[in-house]
Amino acid sequence: MKDILRHFLPLAWRNLWRNPRRTVITLIVVSVGLWSVLIFNSFMGAWSQASKDTSLKLLIGSGQIHAVGFMDDPSIDALMTPPAGALKAALDAPEVRFWTSRLVVPGVVQSEYKTLPVSILGVDPEAEREISSIPGKVVEGRYLSGVADDGVVLGLHLAERLKTGLGRRVILMSQYVDGTLAERSFDVVGLFDADQQTEDFYAFTGRAAGATFLGLEDQISQVVISLPDEGDVEATFATFAQAAPELDVRTWKELNLFLATSDSFMKGFIYIWLGVVFSLMAIGIVNTQLMAVFERTHEFGLLLALGMKPRLVLLMVSLESAMLIGTGVLVGALIAAGTIWVFYDGIDLSVFAQALEMFQGGQMLFPKYDVPSFFIFGLIIWVLGIIVALWPARRAARLSPVEAMRRAT
Amino acid sequence: MDNIVSCQGVSKVFGTGELAVHALRRVDLEIMPGDFATLAGPSGSGKTTLLNMIGALDKPTDGRISIQGQTLSDLSKAQLSELRLNRVGFVFQAFNLIPVLSASENVEFVLELQGCDAGERRDRARVALKEVGLEGMEDRRPSALSGGQQQRVAVARALVSRPGIVLADEPTANLDSKSAMELVDLMARLNGDLGITFVIGTHDPNVMKRSKRHIEMIDGKIKNDKIS
Repeated sequence: MKDILRHFLPLAWRNLWRNPRRTVITLIVVSVGLWSVLIFNSFMGAWSQASKDTSLKLLIGSGQIHAVGFMDDPSIDALMTPPAGALKAALDAPEVRFWTSRLVVPGVVQSEYKTLPVSILGVDPEAEREISSIPGKVVEGRYLSGVADDGVVLGLHLAERLKTGLGRRVILMSQYVDGTLAERSFDVVGLFDADQQTEDFYAFTGRAAGATFLGLEDQISQVVISLPDEGDVEATFATFAQAAPELDVRTWKELNLFLATSDSFMKGFIYIWLGVVFSLMAIGIVNTQLMAVFERTHEFGLLLALGMKPRLVLLMVSLESAMLIGTGVLVGALIAAGTIWVFYDGIDLSVFAQALEMFQGGQMLFPKYDVPSFFIFGLIIWVLGIIVALWPARRAARLSPVEAMRRAT
Repeated sequence: MDNIVSCQGVSKVFGTGELAVHALRRVDLEIMPGDFATLAGPSGSGKTTLLNMIGALDKPTDGRISIQGQTLSDLSKAQLSELRLNRVGFVFQAFNLIPVLSASENVEFVLELQGCDAGERRDRARVALKEVGLEGMEDRRPSALSGGQQQRVAVARALVSRPGIVLADEPTANLDSKSAMELVDLMARLNGDLGITFVIGTHDPNVMKRSKRHIEMIDGKIKNDKIS
């Protein structure tokens, strides 16, 4: 077999270039097809990652822990004590990049002109800088200075709707644990610029200041956890659930179903695209290989007449297909690698900022080299290409020598 | 002496019913080792069909053909390939060289199919090309050779595997008269010097003049079979 390959590989290569135009067309079909799949995969991956980063770094983190019932009714009745014991040990493990706790209650914010519903978040400002992008989005004034800071940070759009601004006072209202009304005035110390929904929905103050406002001691509403990018979310959160079975432990996939669904949808869509591309490619490959076999019918007849076994004819034609498609795969992969290299430092989509906000997309896309996908998609196209090219090869192998030589002369 | 080829009652019918064409009608023929035979006859007389049958390229509708004692109808497709590879050499009218291979590689191709190693292939191809007068042209592609030279390569390819018989179908039809004469001389010399058996289907009187045995065919039958 080795000897046969040594002899037939150069012959197959030479045969490919007997009709350079057809070979180049097939090479273009295969390489552009693979290039499109790899680029699509890389850009969709970058888009997915950017959306995920934007959403998760806003407030969600890699996941959260709440008291049971909080997710159905995020009120002051669904509080928990700060992590301790086994849960704290699990949160302090090296698999966790950072964690913090928040106080979250529904409430309203009132200005001289308007009263609007908000979610009041009592946060640890230092910890939030590690886990959330909100502190970095303050565009007027300042972010909170500590857990005891009793200023309030509002979204730009919320402030605009309230007709309030930096240095003005607003009243936050919520409920005490006993159900009576809690209200207090807060100075607006900062305004942040995020997507409109986030700007409208959240009012931030220091966690201790929030607790004082609500008459609480050290209770919290949620623990927010951030894992490293490559962290195994499911496995790590399983350890939290094991450490605190009485609490409601959820990963970001359970907290943001849209994001989780779009993430898996994108992965699925890449395979749909691969299917579409390959179907088109298969038509091209079969067509050109059939043409090649048809044009060389006389020659195949000759080879069979000389005593070449039909299976060797099949092997020879298949080798030609394998070389042709393999070369196309290599070229496509190289062009895709070059394209990704060109955009490796990021693609600035800020001109579409408003549209991207709707889809929770990031404004910068960073296409990455997904090396396994280069191998997997390349291999899939190569193997499937050889399989579809077997049909023309079988036609060549099944020719009757006399018929083949007579038909073409 | 045992024959190389034996045809007994060989018939070949193409098509069926009213459209049936009887290309061969109960042909009986024996080719002996060392024969230099021509199959002559007008177009449609069955020369090519008979050569195809003897060369195991086609199957008779009726009758029995054996080559060196092996009955062709008993063989599978793969065994027929083996037989063509090892026992029969072909020279066709249209040269039929593989265009992407050099003269030497075309000759070596048959040896490669036989499983010879690279060194032996090269040596035997060089000798075969020398025998047909193409020494020094081993590396030329068919497109760089004249028609006569291409047909010589085809003869070298037919000889190199040391077949029991070489079948040539109108080998001079595409050649000018000088090249045709040279080719006939070459085949006659190979027959005389090496004892290679040739059966040549031809219209060419020059070929017929040089042959030792004239087989004349008309309407799918052998009319005359004379040894000169």
